[in-house]
Amino acid sequence: MNARLVTLWLAVGFPLLWGVMKTLQNAMKLFH
Amino acid sequence: MTSSFLDREHTLAPPGFNRFLVPPAALAVHLSIGQAYAFSTFNLPLTKLIGIGHSTPGDWDLKQVGWIFSIAIVFLGAAAAVFGRWVERVGPRKSMFTAALCFSGGFLVSAIGIHLHQLWLLYLGYGVLGGCGLGIGYISPVSTLIKWFPDRPGMATGMAIMGFGGGALIAAPLSVMLMDHFKTPASNGVLETFVTMGVIYFMFMMIGVYSVRVPPPDWKPAGWSAPAKPKQLVTSANVAVEMAWRTPQFWLLWGVLCMNVTAGIGVLGQASPMIQEIFSGRVAPAAAAGFVGLLSLFNMAGRFFWASTSDYLGRRNTYMVFFLLGILLYSTVPTFGHLGSIGLFVAAFCIILSMYGGGFATIPAYLRDIFGTYQVGAIHGRLLTAWSVAGVLGPVLVNYIRQYQIDHGVPKAQAYSITMYIMCGLLLIGFLCNFAMRPVSDKHHHRGSST
Repeated sequence: MNARLVTLWLAVGFPLLWGVMKTLQNAMKLFH
Repeated sequence: MTSSFLDREHTLAPPGFNRFLVPPAALAVHLSIGQAYAFSTFNLPLTKLIGIGHSTPGDWDLKQVGWIFSIAIVFLGAAAAVFGRWVERVGPRKSMFTAALCFSGGFLVSAIGIHLHQLWLLYLGYGVLGGCGLGIGYISPVSTLIKWFPDRPGMATGMAIMGFGGGALIAAPLSVMLMDHFKTPASNGVLETFVTMGVIYFMFMMIGVYSVRVPPPDWKPAGWSAPAKPKQLVTSANVAVEMAWRTPQFWLLWGVLCMNVTAGIGVLGQASPMIQEIFSGRVAPAAAAGFVGLLSLFNMAGRFFWASTSDYLGRRNTYMVFFLLGILLYSTVPTFGHLGSIGLFVAAFCIILSMYGGGFATIPAYLRDIFGTYQVGAIHGRLLTAWSVAGVLGPVLVNYIRQYQIDHGVPKAQAYSITMYIMCGLLLIGFLCNFAMRPVSDKHHHRGSST
């Protein structure tokens, strides 16, 4: 059950983290 | 896939099921349909389908293309309102599957429209079909989450609805990457991107379809029992959807959501030109795009933060914070502009957008507090018509008032000040609606079975 929980959270968490990182990279231009 | 697999009775959780498996199922759907917020990345490429690098006379113009998103948002509200009871009846799995078919189908029909260069197919595909997918997908996990997390309903729905805000953060760079990948001298890659995204989102939403479960009737978390003395404005009774929308409480909440969304959505749509015009010569287009990204980030984070906070603060108090802090910030933003303080200006709008997202994410738990869990998903669906209205009202207010002022000789840098004060007025109306909230009268309570 725990493996399933971790897999599911990774499946949704990884794309979200990627999106957040890309957004932050863009946002940094505001302060340059 | 047989129809029985999708039925509610086949989604009943077995004993010992870990309820924390349900939020990622909801997130898989919301992260997908949240793509809608990033649809504007396609606007310019769609105006260059024939000319490829530039628009030619046969190409669609921005105004025509802009209608695709507007139609989708209108159908989001309409589908959530119309299909709310159906979603409650058939359960989350069948409704998530239907949402996946509609949303992905919308991309594929639109791709045919791009291939044939028929704009009406994009209105029908992404606008109508995709919009129905957005509405059904948006409400499908809400009621299930509230039932799994009676102890933390704000946090649970906040987690899912955070996905709708986060979807844009994924979709915007993904769309650009895919268009770059598929670009050829004969195509700008939009057609292939639409097909690819339709397939990717269908598969991603299937994660939610396969993993969602509903709790057994009257299920409670281990060691938790409902408070003996419920908090003020938290009912232990239930109100059916057909009765709920006839109560003043429904319309007060409709006003609360509509005013909160109107105040945020207009700014979100105009954020890039607004910061460039107010700080003329100091903010480049690339930096303005960074500002829009930052607002999206706060929109997403606010959904989880404020909805979770509302479990401790209370729903009404949370909205009081939104309205009072919103009025304070909107009324001081013009001053930050006059002072030339980009940092304070950005900080103020980040907080405003966090409360915009928070308003969306806290409303399901507020509905549960006022109307009970019985048909909270269907009631939520009807309340989302406030979003459709705000989706038109917000941008119209910001755009038209700005244009009116510029036409009357006001410098562009100062053309937003009046708009900010009007937003304060809207937030004041929202505050009064929230202030007037009272428990639903006993005579409206549902007497039959609540399962």
